[in-house]
Amino acid sequence: MKKSDILIIGNGISGLFAACIAADMGKKVQILSYGAGTLTIGGGIIDVLGYDDQGKFIADPLKGMDGISANHPYAKTGAQTAKKALEAFLKITEEEGYPYLGSPDKNLWLPTAVGNFKPTCLVPRTMDTEALFKADNILVVGFDTMKDFYADMATKNLRERLSKNKNVEEFIVKLNFEYGRDLRDISAMDVARWLETDEGHRSFVDQVKGHVKANTAIVLPPVLGLEPNYKVLDSLKKELSCALIEVSSLPPAVTGTRLNKMLHSCAKKRGVQIIEKARVVGSEIIDGKCQAVITEGFDRQRKFYAEQFILATGGVYGGGIIAKIGAMSEPIFNIDIEVPKVQTDWSYKQLFADKKQIFAQYGVSVDENLTPVAADGSKPASNVKVVGRSLAGYDFCYEKSGNGVALITAYKAAAAFCGEA
Amino acid sequence: MLKTTVVVIGGGATGVGILRDLSMRGVDAILVERDDLGYWTSSRFHGLLHSGGRYAVKDKEAAKECIQENTILRKIGRHCVEATESIFVRAPEDSEEFEQEWVKSCAECGISAVPISMDEAFKLEPNLSRKLLSAYRCPGAAVDGFRLLWQTVASANKYGGKAMTYKEVIGIETENGTVVGVKIRDRWTGAEEKISCDFVISASGSFAGEVAHLAGLSVNVKPSKGTLIAFNHRICNRVVHRLHKSSDADIFVPHGSITILGTSSIDSAPDDTSTETAEVMAMMEIGKITFENIYDYRILRVFAGTRPLYSADPNAKGRSASRGFVALDHAHDGINHFMSVCGGKFTTYRLMAEKVCDIVCEQLGVNAKCHTAEENLVDDPSPDLISRAKAVFPSYGAELASSRLGNEKLERVIKRIETQPEMKELVCECENVTLAEIEEVASEPTSHTVSDLRRRTRLGMGTCQGTFCAYRSVGAVNKENMPWAKDSVYLFKEFLETRWKGIRPVLWGNMLRDIELTRAIYDAALNLSGVEEIK
Amino acid sequence: MAINKQHAIDPDKCTACTICITACPVTAATRKFRGPKMTGPALTRLRKLVSDDDPMLDYCSNCKTCDLVCPSGVPISTLNMIAKNEYYKTHPRKSKADDMLAHSEKMGKLITALPLGSTFANLGMSVGKSFGVMGAMGIAQDAKMPSYASESFISKFKKIKQTPYPRKVVFFSGCYINYNQPEVGTDLVKVYQKNKIEVAIDENFVCCGSPMVSGGYIDDARVNASKNTALLKSWVDRGYDIVTACTSCGLMLKQEYQELFDFEGMAEYAAHMYDSIEYLAKLHDDGQFDTDFANDNTKYIYHAPCHLKVQAIGRPSMELLPMIPGIDIEEADVGCCGISGSYGFKADKHEIAMKVGSKLFNRIKNSHAKLGVCECGTCRLQMENGSGVKAIHPLTVLRQAYGL
Ligand SMILES: Cc1cc2nc3c(=O)[nH]c(=O)nc-3n(C[C@H](O)[C@H](O)[C@H](O)COP(=O)(O)OP(=O)(O)OC[C@H]3O[C@@H](n4cnc5c(N)ncnc54)[C@H](O)[C@@H]3O)c2cc1C
Ligand SMILES: Cc1cc2nc3c(=O)[nH]c(=O)nc-3n(C[C@H](O)[C@H](O)[C@H](O)COP(=O)(O)OP(=O)(O)OC[C@H]3O[C@@H](n4cnc5c(N)ncnc54)[C@H](O)[C@@H]3O)c2cc1C
Ligand code: SF4
Ligand code: SF4
Ligand code: SF4
Repeated sequence: MKKSDILIIGNGISGLFAACIAADMGKKVQILSYGAGTLTIGGGIIDVLGYDDQGKFIADPLKGMDGISANHPYAKTGAQTAKKALEAFLKITEEEGYPYLGSPDKNLWLPTAVGNFKPTCLVPRTMDTEALFKADNILVVGFDTMKDFYADMATKNLRERLSKNKNVEEFIVKLNFEYGRDLRDISAMDVARWLETDEGHRSFVDQVKGHVKANTAIVLPPVLGLEPNYKVLDSLKKELSCALIEVSSLPPAVTGTRLNKMLHSCAKKRGVQIIEKARVVGSEIIDGKCQAVITEGFDRQRKFYAEQFILATGGVYGGGIIAKIGAMSEPIFNIDIEVPKVQTDWSYKQLFADKKQIFAQYGVSVDENLTPVAADGSKPASNVKVVGRSLAGYDFCYEKSGNGVALITAYKAAAAFCGEA
Repeated sequence: MLKTTVVVIGGGATGVGILRDLSMRGVDAILVERDDLGYWTSSRFHGLLHSGGRYAVKDKEAAKECIQENTILRKIGRHCVEATESIFVRAPEDSEEFEQEWVKSCAECGISAVPISMDEAFKLEPNLSRKLLSAYRCPGAAVDGFRLLWQTVASANKYGGKAMTYKEVIGIETENGTVVGVKIRDRWTGAEEKISCDFVISASGSFAGEVAHLAGLSVNVKPSKGTLIAFNHRICNRVVHRLHKSSDADIFVPHGSITILGTSSIDSAPDDTSTETAEVMAMMEIGKITFENIYDYRILRVFAGTRPLYSADPNAKGRSASRGFVALDHAHDGINHFMSVCGGKFTTYRLMAEKVCDIVCEQLGVNAKCHTAEENLVDDPSPDLISRAKAVFPSYGAELASSRLGNEKLERVIKRIETQPEMKELVCECENVTLAEIEEVASEPTSHTVSDLRRRTRLGMGTCQGTFCAYRSVGAVNKENMPWAKDSVYLFKEFLETRWKGIRPVLWGNMLRDIELTRAIYDAALNLSGVEEIK
Repeated sequence: MAINKQHAIDPDKCTACTICITACPVTAATRKFRGPKMTGPALTRLRKLVSDDDPMLDYCSNCKTCDLVCPSGVPISTLNMIAKNEYYKTHPRKSKADDMLAHSEKMGKLITALPLGSTFANLGMSVGKSFGVMGAMGIAQDAKMPSYASESFISKFKKIKQTPYPRKVVFFSGCYINYNQPEVGTDLVKVYQKNKIEVAIDENFVCCGSPMVSGGYIDDARVNASKNTALLKSWVDRGYDIVTACTSCGLMLKQEYQELFDFEGMAEYAAHMYDSIEYLAKLHDDGQFDTDFANDNTKYIYHAPCHLKVQAIGRPSMELLPMIPGIDIEEADVGCCGISGSYGFKADKHEIAMKVGSKLFNRIKNSHAKLGVCECGTCRLQMENGSGVKAIHPLTVLRQAYGL
């Protein structure tokens, strides 16, 4: 019977990263996934911990983990593991030729498509936001017919926020793309593809050059190529002699797509077998140990056996947790999640509340080893670990901790299964 | 100081109908609305242009009025009405005797009710429950509240009638027992001013009591709240009624790209538009009798409106209060030239206005007759304009935009795209709303928030409930440098929080997934609510 | 599996997340296409309300990459195909090629029925091209069309003497193998016999309908589906498993039928359907796969067809072929080849198809592989067309390794 050492359900950032770590430690790893993960829409920016429960900014995410509430995933991993995990991530990006910037003990302020700033921790070099704070001149570059970036709004808001002695200007690059009823709107992805061509590159440089003064940082939408490398960035930097900073923006995510490609190729290089469109619907548990998980498609059910299992199914959004009227559950290991019976008790009246949203913290509860714990305190399967967005106890939007929790818990689970404490 | 003959308080259906009628009779009139047009009940309703079938057994008078007005509105308001027709279906739980009585009553009221076989009914509406027993085709239709209000005002404008939004009436001034003017306050600037006038008509719906109070009077309105559920797509292509004695959750109205199920009835405060999950669940259970797969359909949002039910008896409750309309002449209470109008139906808004204006005109000594049934609210777009629209709007956009915009605005939007083709960019991809349309509507003096744009355009009314178009529309109005669009974060929150209100009671399944996405974008990626501490 | 019909046609599962847009190869290649989210779920809502000119609808190739990445299980490509089918009921087709390419079986039958028919047909293809006949029909002038074999697979099959075994499969060859590449079919029989499997065929099978669905002729496909369903069900009832060696046929029979139609028995036979290599991989899992291979020191590059990827069976070829001693095989892993059945043959789509495939072509060229490997017939043609490197079916690699 075919059997892997570790079977991972989900190929989002947590599933892929866990796979890379486990495969590096010599394990035979298989991933089952239904749909792509959130990375392609979620930016690929690694937030670790930006705000505490009161909404106070945290300058050092690792320190911030110290006093964190007991059911938070970081309380299970600890700062030590967090540091190791993020360093392992940085190392992988280095090896794959798409190195990330930043350090686990320091938050950065990254500009967004609105022109305000968000705290984050690790970013690709296309988001070298420190350069923005060093520059005297900020040039916000937009593209005349591109959707989903409004240079004037970003300029206005940046100007309001940055110190008076910075000069914030706006410049619009003309794309000269064909336009008509039967041609669709132009997205950041289209512009990224254009900048990958010689023609696009030339045109961009020619148009922008005259507006770059000494010590300028260009702020622009995420358009610096779709491949996980810095070819576009480096050549533009060289020709324009200035820094370029992509903003945190809305889906579809060019920067996230790059990280997604990088992690996939990294996993495949390490011999990880990925089976796509494989919807896991259940598991076979004998004596408190999971033997196999079961997939279901249009044809029939299939069983996939393994020694150990990592559940990386992305919570409610990823499809890993099902929210029903007055009930919530994890469908693969059949774990009920305790929620109020009345739907309006799941949330505060304000969506953007001044505290962590209630429903955002719903998820699978785990013990300190990330093993799932059911509502009655029992542990349905001892050889299962839960990672990423399916975990209970955190609100990644409020705290700014999404990809951080995903990477850190994935690392902890994979390392533990490989015998590393 | 502004001066006019009649001030109409309230920009719901009743108020705009009166404004148009007066204007067409040559009476100088100004309408003042505290919020946006149709902010209250005239959009928080079912959107059904009654055929009268629902009232045929119980209230023949109302039924006759409905079919008469239905016929008129299909003509004069054809761009606001989707002439879908309706189907009345009887379920096993419904009485057969009632069906017979209903058929007879429809005939008496002049409402066409054509019996069809169930096979045919299932062919017309494949999602209907297979347990249903009989079906009739009637001339019901769907009506777009926002659009009807704005087009009615556009028609009044042609005759000199004016409507002012975001102006709240805070005082009614009298001299010697006769109205001489009203005091208004601008909701945005707080500035107060006076409009002097000879006559005041309060068409303030569920707020009629509050407004009357401004003149020291009391009007006994018993607001009764009804909840509505909007589903993500057209479950049916016709209005579907249960054929039984009218009750809760027995009507489905297809509305543009969505379907609305309603409704319920509980006593409430006039401004209570909240919804409880339990009400939704109770309605779903009833709705299941008509569409058995109802739980498979995705809910977009839920909302509620309050019926301005008038009751002469202050102790009456809920459904026992009259659903007919009343026009109270406060001369009887000691104030001349002040009337309160409330109750009735959206469907009969024109007729109500006609009756009220007959009274008012008589008192003002105006002889002109009512012409509102004879003239279309807006001109049809010319074939030439339609083909110009088809040439520039993205697929499926031209027709929707032209019925939304009316002739003149449509032409302006087309021009924007003709001169700048990239203006056909879709701001709202769910409801196909172009950037050109957003910029056009945003530049109107009546726009103050992104929600105002939503009410005029259907922006953010589709599947993603504003998740994507919030950024685009805020960006667009910022680009246009609207005086009201200074604070980006406020604009985002105002829009997204109003959308949230309708999702919160139904936060499960894809509604929760959608909200996760919304928060991820606006909070995680764009940090709309976190404090920024940059050096 | 009881897939509720309702879900195939309603757009309610979409959350507008845009993940599919990041993956659609046609969206990346041209702005003439609006992309999966809009064309599929978003506009399905509006099409219930208004109709309009929608030339973009024609650009979806039905490659199903969108379905693969959608986290919500929206049957995006099928929504597109349903819309296309409805659209052409009221709108004229842009090209005559649609009809011809959708009904490839008709053409195959016609040509192979003539004595020496295929020789003439293949000749005719190039002659026709040089006179611009193909262009007038809407076929891309420089697209390499499939050539027809002189003898169909069915006719060849009848001449094969098989050893009877208790393990029996019925082989649904599909049009491409039957009329264009019968040797893939005969390779299957040889490889299966080597593994102690008896292969049956059914002359009454008709085209699976995949090109009809992609071309917007769902009503024609329904007729075929009804015939095939009854036949396939009866084979399964007799204890046979079903195998296909063309991934588009396989996907059509086991998935798209269920999404589009409602015939008795579809789910029952689907439970016994296998891709030809998947079936062997399953034998291997059970320890019954014959690994008596000779050395093969060839360098291969494997391309996984999109229609294989969405079957949730992984890459069975990449499990089995590396077991051949000496073999050097790697997966290209750069996405769609662009041809999507007959899509790339159309005059107005050919350029797009080549653009979509360009990554794959470069990957093949740069790999210095001697041969390409792929389960899908038209993909193989496209791989050869774009890279100049010949491509073969994995069954052929196995047959050679068995020394048969
Ligand atoms: C718009 C957006 C913006 C964001 N921005 C940021 C940001 O700027 N910084 C940051 O740090 N974080 C951000 N996040 C959050 C971050 O992206 C997520 O928290 C993180 O990606 C979660 O990763 P995951 O691996 O847990 O889940 P996912 O990426 O959701 O992956 C889950 C996987 O599981 C699969 N799956 C689910 N159920 C099954 C099943 N039954 N069978 C098989 N497979 C299954 C899914 O198909 C998917 O592949 C953002 C998120 C979104 C949506
Ligand atoms: C749930 C529900 C479903 C319904 N369905 C249907 C249906 O399908 N078909 C149908 O024909 N009818 C229907 N109706 C009835 C119909 O909607 C109402 O009768 C009609 O909309 C009432 O319009 P109105 O103008 O009187 O009130 P409103 O629309 O409420 O207008 C009153 C306006 O007065 C304004 N106002 C109040 N105080 C002040 C002030 N001090 N200064 C300035 N302005 C002020 C308010 O802001 C408000 O905009 C339904 C009603 C409900 C509640
Ligand atoms: S089937 Fe292929 S071409 Fe069509 S929308 Fe999906 S990914 Fe794009
Ligand atoms: S179809 Fe699927 S992938 Fe595409 S936008 Fe909708 S939910 Fe996202
Ligand atoms: S022809 Fe082959 S690779 Fe190409 S689209 Fe089909 S199945 Fe996909």
